[in-house]
Amino acid sequence: MLDVKQLSSGYQGNDVVHDVDFHVDTGEVVMIIGSNGAGKTTLFRTICGLLPASTAQVHFDGQEISGLPAEQVAQLGISFVPAERHLFPRMTVRENLILGAYPHKPDSETMSSVLELFPRLEERMRQHAGTMSGGEQQMLAVGRALMSKPRLLVLDEPSTGLAPLLAQAAYKALGLLRARGLTVLVAEQQVPLAMSISDRGYVLENGYIRLQGTTEELAANPGVRSAYLGVA
Amino acid sequence: MIANILDGIVFGLQLGLLATGLTLVYGLGGVLNMAYGQIAVVSAMVVAFAMDAGLPVLPAVVVGLIAGGLVGLLLDQTLLRPVYRLHEEPRVLLSLLLTLGLSFIIDGFLIWRYPLQALSLHIGGGAIDILGVPMRRGSLVASAITLMTFAGLFLFFRYTSLGLAIRSVIEDEEGARLVGITPQKMMRLILILSGVLAAVVAVTRSMVTPVDTTAGLSITVFALIVTVVGGLGSVAGAFFAGIILGIINVVAASYIGSYISLIILLAAAALTILIRPAGLLGVKE
Repeated sequence: MLDVKQLSSGYQGNDVVHDVDFHVDTGEVVMIIGSNGAGKTTLFRTICGLLPASTAQVHFDGQEISGLPAEQVAQLGISFVPAERHLFPRMTVRENLILGAYPHKPDSETMSSVLELFPRLEERMRQHAGTMSGGEQQMLAVGRALMSKPRLLVLDEPSTGLAPLLAQAAYKALGLLRARGLTVLVAEQQVPLAMSISDRGYVLENGYIRLQGTTEELAANPGVRSAYLGVA
Repeated sequence: MIANILDGIVFGLQLGLLATGLTLVYGLGGVLNMAYGQIAVVSAMVVAFAMDAGLPVLPAVVVGLIAGGLVGLLLDQTLLRPVYRLHEEPRVLLSLLLTLGLSFIIDGFLIWRYPLQALSLHIGGGAIDILGVPMRRGSLVASAITLMTFAGLFLFFRYTSLGLAIRSVIEDEEGARLVGITPQKMMRLILILSGVLAAVVAVTRSMVTPVDTTAGLSITVFALIVTVVGGLGSVAGAFFAGIILGIINVVAASYIGSYISLIILLAAAALTILIRPAGLLGVKE
């Protein structure tokens, strides 16, 4: 579904991500793992049209999308949930969700399934998004992304700012989405969380893809174990 | 005193609607339109010319509203193009300079070519009594139209998907792009809307007092003061700040003197920024 080739990108002429190749097939959950500063956010922002690439060939369902602005990438069926979430703070939960479906009117079926996934949101429909807790905002951000019935859900470090229990709950929800057949691409620092839902993964270090494989292969890899899983 | 307050409310509603156009453009696109008063004046002149050409009042007003919207669109498509390439502070500064320049050009042309032209819409009929104060019909009709316009804006931003989309760009532009909204398209719409609002204010103002070709600068200044007090990016803020400053303006003019009232308004704006930098209900600071 998503095919990324030779992606290099960065800020003010300096590349932070170098020559990245990876792909995501329909129905898969793929993780990009790496520590702080590895380039995960730069990579995702470039793919989703928020940052111009130095070079890149990005194909989504066969269509070249590199160079397209974020709003067009979103309309093609990729929903991106950035680490900062970018909710609409003085608009209600309900309005945030409605906007997720833009330019279409919200599908009542989709709305129900999102609220089923995140019952806390249903309780707070009229609350302003900016007044909610971190965990609730994360739920709303994912919920909003789901309202457009995306083909691909892209999440940048969904565990950001969440206490361990909340982060686990978030990943449990993602697991449910995976079971429903959603294709997901997730960047994570907290590798065990990412591994709990992913089929395959890539390890990003200093902007380069160092390793790739199935989740089982990566979990067994001694380098990965010592660097990311806290195993000596 | 009641007469002053009522007159203040009439004036204040106008100020509020005026500030709404300015505040939306700034809140959404970070553009400060110093030619806003000129858009109002140009619209008024179009209505005047249309009526001189024989058009009845209502169609002439419609032509004026369209003219206002067109000027807004033209601004977006031409003068503001270089502004859109910048962001944050440089964008605000360039927009200020370019629109200021435009305001001089428009003023210069109008005052040179049509120095005596003015728009004045007479609403016939005697005065109507409100709370014991005889109010001119023109003031009441102007206020009614302004209130209805505010109501229309409220419904639009609250209940239509386009209104929600525009608000979302003001709230968080990146978030809006992520749900598939094109900020530039919304900016174009808001500029057209602000032009139409400027025309509405010019037309309703002409029901109270003649609007002539020199009015541009003072309209812009008043709009700016109310916008700052109300909070950049907030329509509700513009509404309330307009009423408050309208009342202050009329009361001050009546008890102290009309030349002092502008100074008092500026002082009120300065005070607001000192106490509450974001304005009464501001979004951006």
